Amino acid sequence: MKKWIFISLLLFVSLSFTQVLQRFPKPDFQSGYERPVMQTPAPRSLVLEYLDVGVLLLVLSLTTYFAHRRRSRRLIFTMMIFSIAYFGFFRKGCICPVGSVQNVVYSFFNADYVIPLTVVLFFLLPLIFTLFFGRTFCAAVCPLGAVQDVVVVKPLSLPKWLSSVLSLFPFIYLGFAVLFASVGAGFIICRYDPFVGFFRLSGSFNMIFLGGFLLLLGTIVARPYCRFLCPYGVLLNWFSRLSRRHVRITPSVCINCRLCEASCPFDAIHKPTTAEIPEDKIVLVRRIILICILLPLMMVSSGWMISRLYVPLASVHPVVSLAEEIKLEDSGLRTEVSDATQAFRAAGKSTADLFAEAHAVQQKVKTGGWILGGFLGLIFGFKLIRLTAYRRYSEYEIDQGDCLSCGRCFSYCPVDKNGQTIIRLNTEVT
Amino acid sequence: MVKMRLLFKELAEDRPLLRKMAQRTAWISGVFALFLSVLLILNYLQFKTHDPLHSPALTQLMQQLQSDSENQALKEQIRALDLLARKAFFIHQWQLRTGSFLLLVSIILMLSAIKYLRSLERILPSFDSKAATDELLLDRLSSRRLVIWSGAALVLLAFVAGLLSENQLKDPKAVELAKTGPSLEELRQNWPHFRGPDTNGHAYADSLPTTWNGSSGEGILWKVKSPKPGFNSIIVWGSKLFFSGADEQTQSLYCLDVTNGNTIWEREIKDVPGHPSELPDVTKDTGFAAPTCATDGQNLYTLFANGDIACVDLQGNFIWSKNLGLPKNHYGHSSSLVTYNDLLLVQYDHGESKSLLALRKSNGKTAYQTKRNDVQLSWASPLLVQGSGRDEIILSATPFVIAYHPSTGKEIWRNKCMDGEVAPSPAYAAGRVFVVNEYARLAAIDIANPSIPLWIYEEDLSEVSSPVANDELVFMPSSYGTLTCLDALTGVKQWSHDFDTGFYSSPIIAGDTIYLMDLKGVTHLIKAAREYQLIGENALGESAVTIPAFMTGRIYIRGDEHIYCIGS
Ligand code: SF4
Repeated sequence: MKKWIFISLLLFVSLSFTQVLQRFPKPDFQSGYERPVMQTPAPRSLVLEYLDVGVLLLVLSLTTYFAHRRRSRRLIFTMMIFSIAYFGFFRKGCICPVGSVQNVVYSFFNADYVIPLTVVLFFLLPLIFTLFFGRTFCAAVCPLGAVQDVVVVKPLSLPKWLSSVLSLFPFIYLGFAVLFASVGAGFIICRYDPFVGFFRLSGSFNMIFLGGFLLLLGTIVARPYCRFLCPYGVLLNWFSRLSRRHVRITPSVCINCRLCEASCPFDAIHKPTTAEIPEDKIVLVRRIILICILLPLMMVSSGWMISRLYVPLASVHPVVSLAEEIKLEDSGLRTEVSDATQAFRAAGKSTADLFAEAHAVQQKVKTGGWILGGFLGLIFGFKLIRLTAYRRYSEYEIDQGDCLSCGRCFSYCPVDKNGQTIIRLNTEVT
Repeated sequence: MVKMRLLFKELAEDRPLLRKMAQRTAWISGVFALFLSVLLILNYLQFKTHDPLHSPALTQLMQQLQSDSENQALKEQIRALDLLARKAFFIHQWQLRTGSFLLLVSIILMLSAIKYLRSLERILPSFDSKAATDELLLDRLSSRRLVIWSGAALVLLAFVAGLLSENQLKDPKAVELAKTGPSLEELRQNWPHFRGPDTNGHAYADSLPTTWNGSSGEGILWKVKSPKPGFNSIIVWGSKLFFSGADEQTQSLYCLDVTNGNTIWEREIKDVPGHPSELPDVTKDTGFAAPTCATDGQNLYTLFANGDIACVDLQGNFIWSKNLGLPKNHYGHSSSLVTYNDLLLVQYDHGESKSLLALRKSNGKTAYQTKRNDVQLSWASPLLVQGSGRDEIILSATPFVIAYHPSTGKEIWRNKCMDGEVAPSPAYAAGRVFVVNEYARLAAIDIANPSIPLWIYEEDLSEVSSPVANDELVFMPSSYGTLTCLDALTGVKQWSHDFDTGFYSSPIIAGDTIYLMDLKGVTHLIKAAREYQLIGENALGESAVTIPAFMTGRIYIRGDEHIYCIGS
């Protein structure tokens, strides 16, 4: 194990170096030579955009079919490789449903932004499929998930306390992504997409480092980004809990043989519980009532705290950061001018207007901070309730929210769809 | 083909063989990837330590070029070294690309082999003795605790971050308010500095008089005797007019009523802390009170040839004074004062100690002192560029014209284009600075790209008088009486005109008229146009070297003997 970690670390560090994009500084011509204007790539044609939607629909349908009907991990794995190739390397990780959350939010808060139908479809299709069939999108369609899945080598089961806390991070990430998108501060999910650098074969050192780290971690902690960071995963988790036709470990009836108990690398299998609740019921009820009473307090206090962070949070917004730069330059605290301030001054716009606009953005972020804080307080409260209340399981059951429909556990079940127990030999699990 | 298919089928069924193959593939690709990793890391470290793009040799040559910009051999050497650096860079890039591609391939191979090997194993449940219920209880308890603690930690973190964050944009008007001092509009309604509100010879007043005669009294509203000698120019704020005067014994400030020339107050500047016992070196052309005063509408600031600097309010009440050190200056100190926000700026280039000095207007304490050891003595006054983007204070001296940030004194840019003993101050219009000195050149510098002058002009150069410019043209008077007009963008001469008398005073541009007073006190009114056109000539009746002050409907001139108010 130690050897494996050492080798992985060395590979990871060197791979990070290889991906660092080093741009050659532009020569400073004094001869009057005019540099050609930078060309931006033309947008993808509408037909091809719809082709992407078609491919998404097809891959979603096939993965759902392979997971539900064929119950084949091998076929799901094949779809995973296809998604990495198509949505990852060919489409360079864009557009992806994970980032589309921000487009949707931005379109709600910005009347001038007309969201393309293809983006809406990219956002909705995985959710609709999840609502009916569980997270088959996560299983093999999402390139971010797929690239992590293929590197899973020796997955460890995380302690419950650790995964409980880590599972709160996607809510925080989603909250901030929605806040920033709503005020027009930018799309942080895309900006901090750790794997897009691999798909595009370029990126900043930090992002490549983060991506490499997650992949390295992913060899022993299966899909760390999907489980503990992915903001779209929050929505998929909710929708999946409501799905009527979710995948099951057994195609027929669970005989509690325990064979599948350790098969899930994502700890998404609930073991059968004892008939009796192991704690005093009155204590439990009191605890839940206390949490419910404290819930509004938690919401208000975290709302207040986050709203107080409006200054650093609003700095992410380009208008606010430009205003701050102008302020620094005007006050003489900074003598170098940036490209942004130079461009602003050259445009002859009024500084007073810029400050007023920046001030307005800050106020929006402040209001958004209250809402975000309230939401996070609510999530923490619900998490505590979930960790207090008991749910009985009579057999080995999949956690519908956390299960990624990867199909690994299927082959562990010795029962076939007719309820016959069969012994499989030499079954491969990828 | 059939044989091949059979071979594959056999192979697929031969699990032990496949396992062995996978094991070997994993090992070989793993070792290869490791080897590549080491190579890539070494390559990276080598590039980091010997970065061709930041080669010290290249940097040194570039620095050398800055001070020796005409050296062709040096330029060639830089080009050759630069080419080598670029080659080294691109070779490194190629190595990086090829290495990373090979590394990726070997990692994919290794991963595939390991995954295959893992697929042959089943993960079985652990049958440990610990009771499942106890474990469940413990798990939930620690989870709850951790969720509560992490929530509390996040709230605390947010609280601390909130406390530490400071909103610079709290009130959109705060930025404007932070600038203590008059607005640009207020400045332009007055005449608060040497060469006017913008320190560049631009007048914003209208209804200006065009004819007068000091001897006959035509067009002269009032005329009073100068109480004490001084070559400093008049400044005006509202209804008050200020100037200073000094002789070997005393130094004073004067405030006159602009309506009738009556003295409102007169204050002798004495008991200055650090006042030197010896007299400064001055010539009769400079005297003891050459620097023009400055005002911000609240206070009045003055500097004398011995380094005594003082601040009084506009009612003449003393606020502070100090001595900047006796200037070692063989003609006598002449550079004038400029106010900027809460600072009073002094170009104090003398002896071995040349510097840009900023004093707090409120108490005279030094806010910063930027050393200018690589320039020679200068008699020019600072040019303050503000209101259109970044504010800059630009000082002209030999050999560098240097722009500083007025709030911090940090250098922004420099241009090596001056020579000799610089006395003319820089002119400015439309993003271009114009600096001149006799036996050097008139150089135009684009402040957006200041490293190399836009153009230079080398005839009929000014010795004392400063040039003036508008968006299209530059006007340069000389001490032997030539006025030259050049295109501001190209430096192409438009016209030149020889007057009978030379100029020490500097031209002021008001609308499309240039007011230029010669050494005999005759003010020539010339059209600011591409063709020479004289509008009028008005004699003061006495010689003069100062620069007139322009207020709506009036011009104030300090002659060698009298102060004049011209208007109707
Ligand atoms: S399908 Fe089975 S193994 Fe895969 S995530 Fe769901 S429970 Fe875990």
